[in-house]
This record gives sequence, structure tokens and C-alpha cells, in this order.
Amino acid sequence: MLNQYLPKIDSTNFKNINKLLMNFIREEVGRTGVNKIVLGLSGGIDSAVSCYLAAAALGSENVSAVMMPYKTSSSKSLEDAMLVVKDLNISYYIADITDQIDSYFAQSVYNKSYYNNSNLDFEKKYNENDYELKLRMGNKMARERMSILYDYSYILNSLVLGTSNKSELLLGYGTIYGDMASAVNPIGDIYKTQIYQLAKYLGIPDSLVNKAPSADLWQDQSDEEELGFTYKLADEIMYLLIDKMYKPEVVISMGYAPAVIEKIYNKIKKSQFKRRLPLIAKVSQRTINIDFRYLRDWV
Amino acid sequence: MDLIKLSLAQIAPVPGLLAYNLEKHLEYIDRAKQAGSELVIFPELSLTGYFLKDAVYDSAIDFNDIIVNNIAADKVQTRNIGNGGCRNTINNKNEIKNKNDEIKNNSYILDELLDKSSEIAVIAGFVESDEDFNFYNSTCCLSGGNILHVHRKVYLPTYGMFEEMRYFKQGKAFGVFDILGTKAAILTCEDAWHLSSSYIAVNKGAKLIIINSASPARGIEEENAQFSSVKMWEELLSVIAFYYKSYVIYVNRVGFEDGIGFSGGSCVFSPNGTKDYCLDYLDEGLLNIELNLDFLKNERFKTPILRDENLDITLKELNGIINR
Repeated sequence: MLNQYLPKIDSTNFKNINKLLMNFIREEVGRTGVNKIVLGLSGGIDSAVSCYLAAAALGSENVSAVMMPYKTSSSKSLEDAMLVVKDLNISYYIADITDQIDSYFAQSVYNKSYYNNSNLDFEKKYNENDYELKLRMGNKMARERMSILYDYSYILNSLVLGTSNKSELLLGYGTIYGDMASAVNPIGDIYKTQIYQLAKYLGIPDSLVNKAPSADLWQDQSDEEELGFTYKLADEIMYLLIDKMYKPEVVISMGYAPAVIEKIYNKIKKSQFKRRLPLIAKVSQRTINIDFRYLRDWV
Repeated sequence: MDLIKLSLAQIAPVPGLLAYNLEKHLEYIDRAKQAGSELVIFPELSLTGYFLKDAVYDSAIDFNDIIVNNIAADKVQTRNIGNGGCRNTINNKNEIKNKNDEIKNNSYILDELLDKSSEIAVIAGFVESDEDFNFYNSTCCLSGGNILHVHRKVYLPTYGMFEEMRYFKQGKAFGVFDILGTKAAILTCEDAWHLSSSYIAVNKGAKLIIINSASPARGIEEENAQFSSVKMWEELLSVIAFYYKSYVIYVNRVGFEDGIGFSGGSCVFSPNGTKDYCLDYLDEGLLNIELNLDFLKNERFKTPILRDENLDITLKELNGIINR
């Protein structure tokens, strides 16, 4: 059978893929009337790929990076982000988010004068489950960063460039209205496995390519440990489920473990809400996004 | 030598911005004319953009208005509508109005192109509305100030990312018309994916199969520089050119609409099935070319597939299928 596996980005197809992504950034950004972008640069491979594409498309002078570490963020993350900044010669800003995150969680968990009329005991809830707090803090950090990026978007008159890849968008491994928020996203249809291949041809420093994928929301966090499978396996399966539109039973017949397929398929289904706009109750004859239908590029 | 000089205008229309798109057409038309071309071909829906959705309603041009809007009455008389087989004769009973009175009427767009067509023939895509307020994905061929031919897209893709049938009515024919001393047919994008359309066109006498399209680039393949969609297109164009012994002129658009990029790669396939001319993928460009009809004559003599085509058998079989 032909084309039953996730195709690699290789030296032959790279040229046109790269051209398509650069044209995408140039045209979709340019049509809004600004020709500049700002993005959150984490030190990971995804934001680096977005950043290299944007610098090639718009010129380094039109790309700004914001690094937003929290006190537990790995110092290597910031170092790697700086490698990108220096290699591309782009402007950068460092906005540490420790104060606001700690201040928020100090208030809601410990401060008894915190205004509320509910019986919810934050402190008890926190003590019950360490993972839940980590998750809440991670989401809060992602949204804090989003909020800062959109402020910089205003200050710099630049659009926020997305850095979520197809794997994490499909798996829902991202924070809604957090790292998933952007104006335009050049890499949202490219699987993580392919991001690594693309990174190689874009000339991204080895230090960013050769490390385990991590959201770096807490110390020693590992994407693949948390997900329970590797991106390589998930991408192979998702390519068959999504791109090829094969039913799970067909993917099972191709030799993949039913349990993993089920887990992945469930994650995709359960996170559908993250990929769509909020539901609107239809009351009128013509409702936004239901039967009021225009391109976002509508003019 | 029996040469035809023509230009392929691979442009990036902006959806809904008709005035902008018209300016771009005029620019490319002038460039084509300067290059000595007799015909310039634009992509599908080149005047309006492709994924219009509800903006189809705002982007349409009614042929009745074009004639109505001509300020000079003599133009009305000199402009004829070709009987290309796709349209009924156009009813021109409406009163003559001043163009300036029409604030939101798009008909001036085709009017300006008609004026230009006295210098060089133009094939351009637009949204057509008829007297019954149906909308069509149409392509017109304008020449000498007249509407020579209009093709209403027959096969409207409505699957995957496409939703044409939601907005457009299907055309009913594949017409063949005389241009530049030969016969041509226009197939719009998906039309060409149905091999019956080019079969009809060549058997009606077409030597030039003009395919205008808005084909999105999609599908990555290993060790293949082209997107999967481009590869499929070029294989198809080669087959049509070789087996129907015709020149296939493919004009695809570029640019982005809501993240969807159109692949470009406009090209010409000769009757021997080879790609003779090609514009780059994904970028705007103008390609000025010369086609040699003697070469087509030579190919049709050496490999007389069309001569031997048995329409009676085809018709009998088709009747059998329909009446089954």
C-alpha cells in the first residue's frame, strides 16, 4: 500500500513547503495592515520553527520574541531561546511571570479574606491533589503569557504568531486561550515528528532539536510521559485517523495497539472544544458562524 | 507556421475586493499586450476571489447590467454575445442607466474589461447572476469589445474544504468557441477532473483546452518536490493533452484565503503530453508563450485517436447506462 505512513519533510519537498509557509505568513499578516509579528519564544522547537519561518518571511526587523519564564522554568529554556534570538538577530523582551503567578495562587489558596461566598475550600483542594494544582498553575501561566503577548501585540503593533503544532492541537495538549491563542499559526498543520524534520532544514540550533519535548510548566515535565505515548507513535496513528480518515478498526488492522489508538482517539474527541469558537445560542435569523458565513479574510 | 501568442496570468485575487482585482487584471492585460499576446487568461473567479461564502451575494455581476450600464449607446449595439452554447441570448430590454448612479453595482468591472478586450482578448473568472437570481461560477471570454463566450462551471465541488454547490448553480454545457483562428473550450477546475468534459470539448472541435482553476496546494509527499495536489493535476493535464491531442492551457491562481494557499504552477501541455511551459509554484507571474498549431496537426496525423473516436458507440453505451 502506498502513502500509508506519515510523510517526512525531506530535502526534496522542503523547498515548496517552506515557500508555502513563508508566503502564508507574509500574506496573512500583511493583509491585516501590519507586517510585523510577535511570538512567545520558549526555547522549545515549536516556537523556534515559527520564529525562523517568520524571520525569513518578514525580515528579522519585523519579528519580536518575548520570553516569559517562571521561577521553576528550566534555565536551559531561556538559554536556548537566546540562541534563536542571536542567530536571527531579532529584538527580544524578557517578562518574568513569577510575581503575578505566585501572587494569584497565594491569594486564592491561603488568603482567608479572599472575597467569596462559596464553600469551596481552595486549601483543602490543593492539599488533596498536587497534580491538580500543577495543572492549574500551568494553565494559569499559559494564559498569563498569552495576556502578556497580546499586550506586546498592542505595544509593538504586531500580530501574535502561533506556535502550536498539529499533534498538540489534535491531542488537546495545550491551554485554551493560553498557548493555543494566536492570530495566525504557520505550523498548526504540521505534526511534531515533521516539526523536527522541518527544524533541521531551517537550520535551528542542535541544542533545541536534541532535547525531550516539554511544556516546561513544572520542573522535569515531559510531554511524552504525561501523554503516555511518544509523539512518533501518536503522529503515525493520527496521520491514519485524521489525514487518511481511516476508522480506528482499520488502524488496528494495520498493527497498532488498540489501547493506544483508543486513548488517542478519545483525546482528539474530548478536546474538540479547544479548537472551536464558543458555542452561541441561535436566536436570530442569522447567527455568527452558523449562517453568517464569511472568511476571516473577509473584506 | 501557425502560431498563437497568448499569456497566462497567475494572480492572487483578494476575496471580495473586486476593484483591487480589476486593477490587477488591467495591469496584467497591459503587460500581456506589450509582450505581443493576442489572448490573456486569468484563473477561476479571478475577479472576485474563491472562498467567498456569503460574499457570493455581494460579488455577482449580472450581464443585463453590463449592457445597461454602458454610457455610450453605440457600445450596446456593437457588443454581441457569442452563442457559445452555455448561455441563452441576453435580454437587453432594460433602460440605459448612468454608471455613476450605480453605487453598489459590480457590472462596471466587466465593462472595463470589455473595453480592454478591443486591444487583446481576455478570459477571466467572475460570479455571474442571472435574471432569475441564480449564481454561477462563470468564466467569460471577451474579445473585440464583445462577450465571445461564457462558461458556467458544471462540476461544483462540494466536499472536503469545498462548498460550491451551496452557493452556485451548475452550468449545463461545455461550449466550444472560435478564437485566434482556432477552436477552444473553457473547463473550470473540477470540470477537468471529469474526463467526460474534455472528451466533449475535443469532439466538438476544440484544439485548445483552457483550464482555469483555484486549486489549493495540499498533501506532502516524500522525495517529491510538488504537493500531492499539484502532482495529480499535472498527470491529468498530460493525459488530456496526449490522448485528446490538444493544447492544454492550465491557469491556476496563487495567494491565500483563510490559510488556504493556492498552488499556481500554471502551465501548458503540448499534444505529445509534455509540459512545455510552466510558471513557478505559489508566486504571481505572467507567462507569455507561443503555441504552434502545425505541431498539433502533426500529432493528430501521427496518432489519429480523435479521428477514430466512435461517438455512436459512446452514445449507445451512455444511453444504455442512463436507461438501465
